[in-house]
Amino acid sequence: APQDKGLLTNLENGELCLNSVQCKSKCCHRRDGLSLARCAPKAAESQECSPYNLIGVYYKCTCESGLTCEVDRSIVGSITNSDFGICVDPNDNVL
Amino acid sequence: DEVCYDRLGCFTNDIPWGGTAERPIAKLPWDPEKVNTRFLLYTKENPNNFQEITAVDPSTIAASNFNASKKTCFITHGFVDQGEENWLSDMCRRMLQLENLNCICVDWKGGSQCAYTQAAHNIRVVGAEVAYFIDTLKNNYGYSPSSVHFIGHSLGAHAAAETGRRIRGIARITGLDPAEPYFQGTPIQVRLDMSDAVFVDVIHTDAAPIIPNLGFGMSQAVGHLDFYPNGGEYMPGCKKNVISQIVDIDGIWEGTRDFVACNHLRSYKYYSDSIISPDGFIGYHSPTYESFTSGTGFPCPSGGCPRMGHFANTFRGVTSVSQKFYLNTGDAKDFSRWRYKVSVTISGSHSVQGYFNIALYGNNGSTRQYQIFKGFISPGKTYTAYIDAETDAGTLDRVKFLWNNNILNPLLPKLGAQDVVIQYGGDGVTSNFCGSGTVREDVLQTLDLC
Repeated sequence: APQDKGLLTNLENGELCLNSVQCKSKCCHRRDGLSLARCAPKAAESQECSPYNLIGVYYKCTCESGLTCEVDRSIVGSITNSDFGICVDPNDNVL
Repeated sequence: DEVCYDRLGCFTNDIPWGGTAERPIAKLPWDPEKVNTRFLLYTKENPNNFQEITAVDPSTIAASNFNASKKTCFITHGFVDQGEENWLSDMCRRMLQLENLNCICVDWKGGSQCAYTQAAHNIRVVGAEVAYFIDTLKNNYGYSPSSVHFIGHSLGAHAAAETGRRIRGIARITGLDPAEPYFQGTPIQVRLDMSDAVFVDVIHTDAAPIIPNLGFGMSQAVGHLDFYPNGGEYMPGCKKNVISQIVDIDGIWEGTRDFVACNHLRSYKYYSDSIISPDGFIGYHSPTYESFTSGTGFPCPSGGCPRMGHFANTFRGVTSVSQKFYLNTGDAKDFSRWRYKVSVTISGSHSVQGYFNIALYGNNGSTRQYQIFKGFISPGKTYTAYIDAETDAGTLDRVKFLWNNNILNPLLPKLGAQDVVIQYGGDGVTSNFCGSGTVREDVLQTLDLC
């Protein structure tokens, strides 16, 4: 079984990653196309976010649980993984 | 035996300087020319490029931007390090954003990049040079030591102590993880201690014993206020795997420094962050880190708590007795955290195995979700935990509750928080939030003030 401290899984924030599944936080984040990807905390409410994608590396992290990433999905954006949104609580506007 | 240098006087390596259990190898400090202590002045007029000044030729001080009506802050580095390293000038720049002062980075790489046992003696020359510099200011400008603050990292903290022993009445000495080998357990005339300045504050970030844990910093409390962030021994973010440590966000050089001494260097990173976070880094009075984590010292008493770092001198509770303070920090830049006590009373029809989180919302911002409990969640029970939030939410107006148990639940169980009590550590203010109904897992429940 993968031991707790590894190069590949269960990575702490700040550790280099290739895919979000490796990170304890479940978000493998890179600031821009040139920078290396590192595990980072998920986006909190009203912070910038990326919608979930299959590539597994994000310019902005996906939202914390219970929040959704409000983004007007453009086809190009979803391919280049560069369309961002804001994390919102879907129940907020219900109240 | 003994060696004497003009301008700085004589240095012996007799006991207690050498030949003792703590200092087995007796050495004499190198010649001041070899140590080559340099004074690199930064001011508001020249925040990015230092002016090199020296007391040996006071005209260089007169010709510089040195302002005798302003405070002076000396910052010096430790073993193997050097004065032109970024962290010293960055610290100066941050201070210069707050006020105009004479910020002088003291470089002594001439005496720091050698055997540790030699560097541990060379700092006596460095301390003497700074004392000589202050004397020159006194003679030429009537400058008072009460306007001087000396910040020293590692061995540099003990250089500041030497200055404090030679010039009485220095306003403040800040020891950033003062070096342990050759200093811990030595008499006060050898190491940093309370008598070296009017106010001495210390940040311990690598206090594990040198053998076997390679802890370079002292665990011994030596100042008026001694801060032990995260318990003082292992700092968050310093346990990254090798590659991630070396290939650091700030570059390979910073990564290599962290690879060698991550915990030890955190002390100046916390201090630097504290300059731009005046209400952060609150220290809680507690005999040990363990009792701090279980709530000792929380919340701050009416007299308030001290701030670790730049604003530690605003604390009114300084006495002649050493006091220890504990706090938690973040694992990366913007290290400051804000501590809250969170109590949640659960509502629902039946118990569920899982975990639940709370997020805080206030006029100053909102925090991430923090896990309060993991295990068998039973309605009617109250669960309490301390969290160190990454932002200061300010006056709270809402909290959000979320639970999850990561397993499929065919019965679609529902849980809720009927009552959430939040107490902020800094001022003890308590806020009460009431919730109604229950929610399914992974759904946020909002609770407003009762």
